[in-house]
Amino acid sequence: MNLLKKIYFTLPLIIFAMIILILWRGLKLNPAQVPSPLINKPLPHFALPTLFDEKKIVTNEDLMGHVTLVNVWATWCEACAEEHNALLELAQNEHVFFLGLDYKDDVDAAKKWLAQRGNPYQMIAVDYAGTVAIDWGVYGTPETFVLDKKGMIRYKQIGPIDTDSWEKKLKPLIAQLRNEPI
Amino acid sequence: MKKIIIIFILCIPLHLFAADDFYPFETPVEQNRFAALTSQLRCLVCQNQNLAESNAALAVDLRQQIYQHIQQGQSDKQIIDYLVERYGNFILYRPPFVAATWGLWLGPLVFLLVGIVCLLFYIRKTATSTRSNNFEDKV
Amino acid sequence: MIPELGHFAIILALCFAILQAGTPLFARFIRNKLAMTTAISQFIFLSMAMLCLIASFMTNDITVMYVREHSHALLPFLYRIGAAWGGHEGSLLLWCLILAAWTVAFILFGDKKLSERSRSHIMMILGLLNCGFILFLLLTSNPFQRDFPSAPIEGNDLTPILQDPGLIFHPPMLYLGYVGFAIGFAFAMAALIEGNCSKEWAHACRPWIVLPWSFLSLGIVLGSWWAYRELGWGGWWFWDPVENASLLPWLSATALLHSLVVSEKRQSFKGWTLLLAILTFTLSLLGTFLVRSGVLVSVHAFANDPTRGIFLLCYLALIIGGAFLLYGTRIKHFYQPPEFTLFSRETFLLFNSILLLTAVFTITLGTLYPIILDALNAGKISVGEPYFNTVFMPIVLPLLLLMGLAPHIPWGKMTAKKTEKKLGVIFLLSGLIAAIAPYSLGFEWHGLAFLGILLSVWIILSTLQYAYSLQKKINLRSLSMITAHIGIAIIALGVTVNKSYSSERQLKISPGESVSLANYSFTFRNIDETHGANYDAITATFDVQKNNDMPLPLEAEQRIYKSNHEVLSKPGILVNPFRDLYLALGNGFSDGAWSVRIYYKPMVRWIWAGGFLLFLGGLLSLFSYWRGRNEFT
Repeated sequence: MNLLKKIYFTLPLIIFAMIILILWRGLKLNPAQVPSPLINKPLPHFALPTLFDEKKIVTNEDLMGHVTLVNVWATWCEACAEEHNALLELAQNEHVFFLGLDYKDDVDAAKKWLAQRGNPYQMIAVDYAGTVAIDWGVYGTPETFVLDKKGMIRYKQIGPIDTDSWEKKLKPLIAQLRNEPI
Repeated sequence: MKKIIIIFILCIPLHLFAADDFYPFETPVEQNRFAALTSQLRCLVCQNQNLAESNAALAVDLRQQIYQHIQQGQSDKQIIDYLVERYGNFILYRPPFVAATWGLWLGPLVFLLVGIVCLLFYIRKTATSTRSNNFEDKV
Repeated sequence: MIPELGHFAIILALCFAILQAGTPLFARFIRNKLAMTTAISQFIFLSMAMLCLIASFMTNDITVMYVREHSHALLPFLYRIGAAWGGHEGSLLLWCLILAAWTVAFILFGDKKLSERSRSHIMMILGLLNCGFILFLLLTSNPFQRDFPSAPIEGNDLTPILQDPGLIFHPPMLYLGYVGFAIGFAFAMAALIEGNCSKEWAHACRPWIVLPWSFLSLGIVLGSWWAYRELGWGGWWFWDPVENASLLPWLSATALLHSLVVSEKRQSFKGWTLLLAILTFTLSLLGTFLVRSGVLVSVHAFANDPTRGIFLLCYLALIIGGAFLLYGTRIKHFYQPPEFTLFSRETFLLFNSILLLTAVFTITLGTLYPIILDALNAGKISVGEPYFNTVFMPIVLPLLLLMGLAPHIPWGKMTAKKTEKKLGVIFLLSGLIAAIAPYSLGFEWHGLAFLGILLSVWIILSTLQYAYSLQKKINLRSLSMITAHIGIAIIALGVTVNKSYSSERQLKISPGESVSLANYSFTFRNIDETHGANYDAITATFDVQKNNDMPLPLEAEQRIYKSNHEVLSKPGILVNPFRDLYLALGNGFSDGAWSVRIYYKPMVRWIWAGGFLLFLGGLLSLFSYWRGRNEFT
């Protein structure tokens, strides 16, 4: 039997094996998660009022010179409530600088929510219309962006921050970014 | 009398149309562009639906953005680039034609051509193998 | 008590499945009795299990976790039956039950002329398959898992979209198809093991390909019709990964059907038929994997669980890997040089296989490509309707063209020149009809519509001409081919016209106001509160009128289900053989206006009518086989 025929006859097995490999890999992936195209790019320009003083405006400038975690949250978001305690702990113990983005939320409800549960954020920007969030590629809550000292996005956490994601991804990254020069 | 009920729609594949009257267009061309664009884009929240059908808050917002961009005279390509810049290629139901997707777009054609070539090779063997004498009997 | 009974019944069924898998090991004189016993026992016990599950639903036994997730005290009884297979565990039990049913059918009605050795091999394979599935059921997806809550709680209720008669029929029909192809697979395995594939084999195999194919055709049609009625924007096919998963085995089985004809009539294509038989069942299993593993986002996907995915993948790899390995090593016994020329029916049928397999390859590629790229860390993309519509069409159009030609081409070698002339005339006639018909009905020119109508009419006229040319020689078998081919043509016609000439309007409208669409006027009469068995609804009533005909009422509703406050928009549809008028209700505004969408959908029912013709064609073929089984020599 010549080589060509040998190839033809084993081809189905080979193709099938490849498909199994792909599906095996696929089992470990999450098809619903959308990676951010803004990694290693600067955070898009924004200017938003703060929660507690609507005349004060937060912009990219306020985030320069230090490592920032931008956390997108809302009072109507259940997972954000679950994440909240973790954020409080991180703000206190790890001295993480949190910028909160209050996404499509009611300002009074937000103030009450934070009063009840504690406030881990150094600054809170209010994105009532959601347009800034669209610029940042936000598609759900909570999401957290890790910015370096130059204001570049280095990592995006989709979903709540938990012990696992903190220990494995965020903590080492923040330590690394803190060592980088401005 | 009729009661007015505010209905909150969850991300289940049911149909609710954000009142399209929020998107009045001056020409049918623009109307068609809007319909075509929103049906080619994927909702990131209700990922089984396109932007035209989804009721998720993000979909409503993005429809509004697309509407405004069309009114501002932007082209389809500009609108698509705007969205891809923020959400990546995931938001496109029509994958772009780039190096990573050559296999996707050209694969079918290659498969068909290879199949036809194999078929022709196989049939050509009739010329080389001994011709059956009772050919006409079989017809 | 009942759930435990059900659970135990499944375990017993497993025992018999294991026994059945060992059929060839037993002495010859026992084998037949053994096979019959094991097959029938599996069927009885799995039926018992299914009945226990349905009974748990009927009594709303929320200590059974599966019932808790999918039922509710208010759920109407009819839907409780469907709910039994509305989730992963129950639908898997249905799968096992149907596999047992097919096994019984084979042992009772299978061709007795098939060698005893082949039959025991087939039973062994079927036994192995059912072992695997029942093990999967017991180990990872037990529908009878119980949990006794400390306080009385209520079930989650069945998802509103599933509360439809479609749920009663669509999954069983699909499974009858998917699972039925296991028999063809077993036939192929038997042939490979024995090293021969005779005419008797091909003849015996035919009903076990045709009947599942018919059921699958009907199942897909039912799914499409159901989605159209439930999902609220008049769509009937979405290229959703799970829809694709149902289309793939159908395409492969269609190629197999045609290849089997050649194997039976001309003793040719044997190796190809075997490959297609393995491929078809592979695609069934692949579909099962895709729905339940969570690798793809789909509206149909059951809640995913990595353990299940791993089990299924290993099972798939083992069974199909083994099958392809066997194929690779044994196929050399089946290879035949071709005994036909370029212009013969054999070539056309081979080309049919190639086109259909290109379709299979394309749809698989599109469905899996996002996973491929993600696995290679090359980014995340989506592959949706625009892609599939673009790549599928160039495959379907030549297929339609060839469908009209192939019946006229003789086996072996083409000689008649008269045929060419006749076909040329028919083709021109089809072109004429395609060009004139839209104009005469008031529609605009549309390039693709012309092409689609041309090919549909071409198939219909050409097939009718073939029927006429057969004269007295026409029999059930050729009738089945004629019916099925015309069915395809009607589907193509429906799809073409619907895609080209549909129109819609989205508006904000208050009671008393009127709008027009496609020569119909829609007047918003009133809005009311109504109630159903387990929901409250707001119903909008419209009057639809054409010219000065009598106005017809059309209602659409927004339902809020009492159990979990989920909302479902149920469209209203006015049906007539040539068009549907579709109305869907949206949000209300504070000024009393309502958001509403109206659609004009021409010829959409023809798509499903054509699908039903496919089902009929399959039944006719089966009937012809049944009639002729004793005469076959």
